Amino acid sequence: MKSVADLGLKRPWFVIGFSSLLALLLLVLAAVPTLFPQLGGPLPALRVDTDPENMLAADEPARVFHREAKDRFDLHDQIVVGVLRPGTEEGVFTPEVLTHVYELVETAESLDGVVRSKILAPSTVDNIEQAGVGAVSFNWLMPAPPQTQAEADAVREKLLNLPMFEGSLIAPDGRSLLLYIPIESKDMSHRISQELLAKIDSFGDSGGEEYHITGLPVANDTFGVQMFIQMAISAPMAMVLIFVLLLLFFKKFRLVLSPMIVALLSVIITMGLLVVTGNTIHIMSSMIPIFIMPIAVLDSVHFLSEFYDRYPQYRDRGKTVRETLKSLWRPMLFTSLTTAAGFGSLVLAPIPPVQVFGLFVAIGVIVAWLLTILFIPAYIALMKESSLEGYGLRQEAGEGEEARGLLRVLSRVTYRRPRTIVAVAVVLLGLAAVGILRIQINDNPVKWFEPDHRIRVADQLLNERFAGTYPAYLNLRAEEADAFKDPELLRYLREMQDSLEASGNVGKTQSITDLVQTVYRELLGGGEEYFRVPDSSAAVAQTVLTYESSHRPDDVYHLVTPDFSEAALWFQLKSGDNQDMLEVVGEVEDYLAANPPPQALQPEWFGLTYINVVWQDKMVAGMLSALLSAFVVVLVLMVVLFRSFLWGLLAMVPLTVTIAVIYGIIGFIGKDYDMPVAVLSSLSLGLAVDYAIHFLARSRQKREKHASWGASVDAVFGEPARAIARNIIVVGVGFLPLLLAPLVPYQTVGYLISSILVVAGAATLLLLPALLTLLARRAFPAERSPSNPPSS
Amino acid sequence: MKRTLLSTLLLLGVAGLAGPLAAEELTADEVADRAAASSYYQGEDGRAEVTMTITDRQGRERKRELIILRRDMGADLGKQRFYVFFLDPADVRRTAFLVWKNPTADDDRWLYLPALDLVRRIAASDERTSFVGSDFFYEDVSGRAPEEDEHELVEVTDTYYVLRSTPKDPGNVEFASYTTYIHKDTFLPVQTEYRDSNGEVYRTYTVEEVETIDGHPTVVRSRMTDEESGGFTVLEYEDVEYGVDLGEDLFTERYLRNPPAEVQ
Repeated sequence: MKSVADLGLKRPWFVIGFSSLLALLLLVLAAVPTLFPQLGGPLPALRVDTDPENMLAADEPARVFHREAKDRFDLHDQIVVGVLRPGTEEGVFTPEVLTHVYELVETAESLDGVVRSKILAPSTVDNIEQAGVGAVSFNWLMPAPPQTQAEADAVREKLLNLPMFEGSLIAPDGRSLLLYIPIESKDMSHRISQELLAKIDSFGDSGGEEYHITGLPVANDTFGVQMFIQMAISAPMAMVLIFVLLLLFFKKFRLVLSPMIVALLSVIITMGLLVVTGNTIHIMSSMIPIFIMPIAVLDSVHFLSEFYDRYPQYRDRGKTVRETLKSLWRPMLFTSLTTAAGFGSLVLAPIPPVQVFGLFVAIGVIVAWLLTILFIPAYIALMKESSLEGYGLRQEAGEGEEARGLLRVLSRVTYRRPRTIVAVAVVLLGLAAVGILRIQINDNPVKWFEPDHRIRVADQLLNERFAGTYPAYLNLRAEEADAFKDPELLRYLREMQDSLEASGNVGKTQSITDLVQTVYRELLGGGEEYFRVPDSSAAVAQTVLTYESSHRPDDVYHLVTPDFSEAALWFQLKSGDNQDMLEVVGEVEDYLAANPPPQALQPEWFGLTYINVVWQDKMVAGMLSALLSAFVVVLVLMVVLFRSFLWGLLAMVPLTVTIAVIYGIIGFIGKDYDMPVAVLSSLSLGLAVDYAIHFLARSRQKREKHASWGASVDAVFGEPARAIARNIIVVGVGFLPLLLAPLVPYQTVGYLISSILVVAGAATLLLLPALLTLLARRAFPAERSPSNPPSS
Repeated sequence: MKRTLLSTLLLLGVAGLAGPLAAEELTADEVADRAAASSYYQGEDGRAEVTMTITDRQGRERKRELIILRRDMGADLGKQRFYVFFLDPADVRRTAFLVWKNPTADDDRWLYLPALDLVRRIAASDERTSFVGSDFFYEDVSGRAPEEDEHELVEVTDTYYVLRSTPKDPGNVEFASYTTYIHKDTFLPVQTEYRDSNGEVYRTYTVEEVETIDGHPTVVRSRMTDEESGGFTVLEYEDVEYGVDLGEDLFTERYLRNPPAEVQ
């Protein structure tokens, strides 16, 4: 320890030079391949990843199946464009608006990355209808923009007459349109939607229609852009705020600069490592800077707090640094280890982005710790003694140890009313348990945007009018080829669809049956009585063959494999919430169990809405095991640190209370347990144990200097409690800029961290001293002398 | 007898079926007309058994076997009638199409579905719908009339006329232009590239094998590739016969329900 402090004090330039060069090197290594990709070289460039599929490992069975099934049915991710004209009787079915729609689709067809032949729009689909006696026609439904209102009305009538399009392409009230633009890969969606928006802007207001672009790929891509806004605005703002607060607490500008440098270097080194090792900037990893910054500042605050309080005693910066390090060495080491363990435990969660997040925050914590014990002493060593003149707590020597103000009140309350405090804590824990049981596990990437964000607005408007914008697919595998030509099986499918559509969660379903029934109806004269499945498999095959002679023969094979052994049942859901998807999964299971299909079918889900459910599920289980293992690791560390099982257990009290209360509150207020909420258990653990360690370690030290625990309480609520209180304020305020972030998960983190700090702080400063008072005889062997009974 | 495209072309070239000197003086329209004639109007009538293999982007194959009968109703480039009869797969066997091709107006098409015992006229405003689910269009099988497009001779090589054609009525077709490589000696188009409004090739027709049957250079294996998806369809013509003397009444609705001996 001593040599470590001396390294910084005696060779300051070496320490500062080395750490700055390391950060600079990593910055260059990360920046060069990113800014100059043409240079090549072995190093990866910075990559942004906003694909929620990547919440699952590439070889995760559900994801592998999702990809295979998408290929099997030739399905693409889609940009969805809603066209609305609210408050009018004819809606968008006017010559002018339909001309715009026609032109917009033409533009989409010309864009790179759009799968042209699979666009679904009035001008790209066939109309199947009667064309006089004994004739059926397959013509483009809207081959050219309509010139008259009558022609525009005809487009509406044709669309409404085709069950495949009602509710998906055209709203059931016949006033709005949805255009589906499939794209080759999700990362093109932002560019393509921008190009579409440019075309839309050129229409002006003449048609009176509104356009709403949505679809999961657009949401994800937009998300990526917002992520950088968060990193470019929230993180620097956090730094500025922390800096201002530190300046308020510790006055000296040059001195306060040092924790900021430590935080900045920690962030650069960690993020540099992240990029250089080929990891991506993901929704999770984008939060690394804003997590590391306050944690990096934590240790520095303890250090500066102690230094600030002690400097007036020694008036010698070298001696003060050594003394400060002496009393903080163990707590700082152990708080860093436990915080690192808390985040490191996330590696156990089976979700790659969460693993990367946990690992790199843990690395960042250790880097910050090293920099605090090396860089700050070096930095102080380089300051002139004269520049510190008059610095420090302005008090007579000795009095600095005493508690003041609110902390003094706390010290009295905890010593006099320990049983009340413990009783309140127990009641809170009981309430928390009730709250935890009410927790709703749910997530929906579209809800990551704020309610007034255009994507959320579009989501709401379109789902009010159409059958739903969230796609999910059920792959049904029969045992042999041509199974899905069997009329009995096709009828079974439609009955299942009817039952599911009636349940409320499902807006619309579509299967090969719907296509067969529509074509059959038109072949037999268009009467509704023929909207049924023909009577033999040959008749089904010939009906399908008829459809294949249209402009879009491949549409068949989005619903069934070419050998007709597997079918895809399409679901349109009005909500992308995992819970709603999960309910539909349950309804299908129940239906299949209660109504055995005429042929054995193997059901398996795919589609992004379902993929979200899969990783959610893994996250909940993963987080629980991560938390439990971190708990054990931290407990062991605590027992080692305090060389006492009782003290080890005491150190676990604040984090247990914090986690319980936070999740209890989440349960009570009905906030969904989603990704950011899940990750916060680690942060709670890290922060709460940090305070506990400092408080307990310093309590022990103070107790040794005083006659009894009762006599030490005031001193404990002096410098040690002040450092903790400062920490709560600095970190709490430091995370506040997250509330300004444009995305809901960041805001959630911001709110919850403030709550975690308050609860962890209260548990540390109230519950721990109360417990120490009650357990004084066991906790402090010296208390056993009868002259010092614990008062109650 | 299978031959590669190259060796076939060489063989045809050596045989010298047409005079190259005279050919160079042809206009673009003349080249287009002669190409249409040699592709779709060989002999007065014809019969072929066709194996259609549709391969999708995943490499999954669907095979269909059909018999195509054709009868010219007058001079080359004039009206024609086609009868398409399904042999396989079993569940569409005896399904039949009848096409009365009218180069100057919409074609007439009928469909017979045996399992529904139903004859329906197919009213289609264009001929660019899929030919029974393949990557070929009806028009690729029955022939696009040369006068529907403007033709421009962009290059004459030792072996090919390279023709660029643009539609007179762009609203009615999905392509912006197409480029055809027409073999100088046989006047068979051996490759056609369809371009979209961005100038990109999205669809390619390739002749893979040519045989001379009854003195007529005949495409016996061709491929249409959907460049966007990577899927393609191969048509293999077997037992090609010309001058089989098909009666006119065979190409009527009556024979849809009762297939004639020529397809049995």
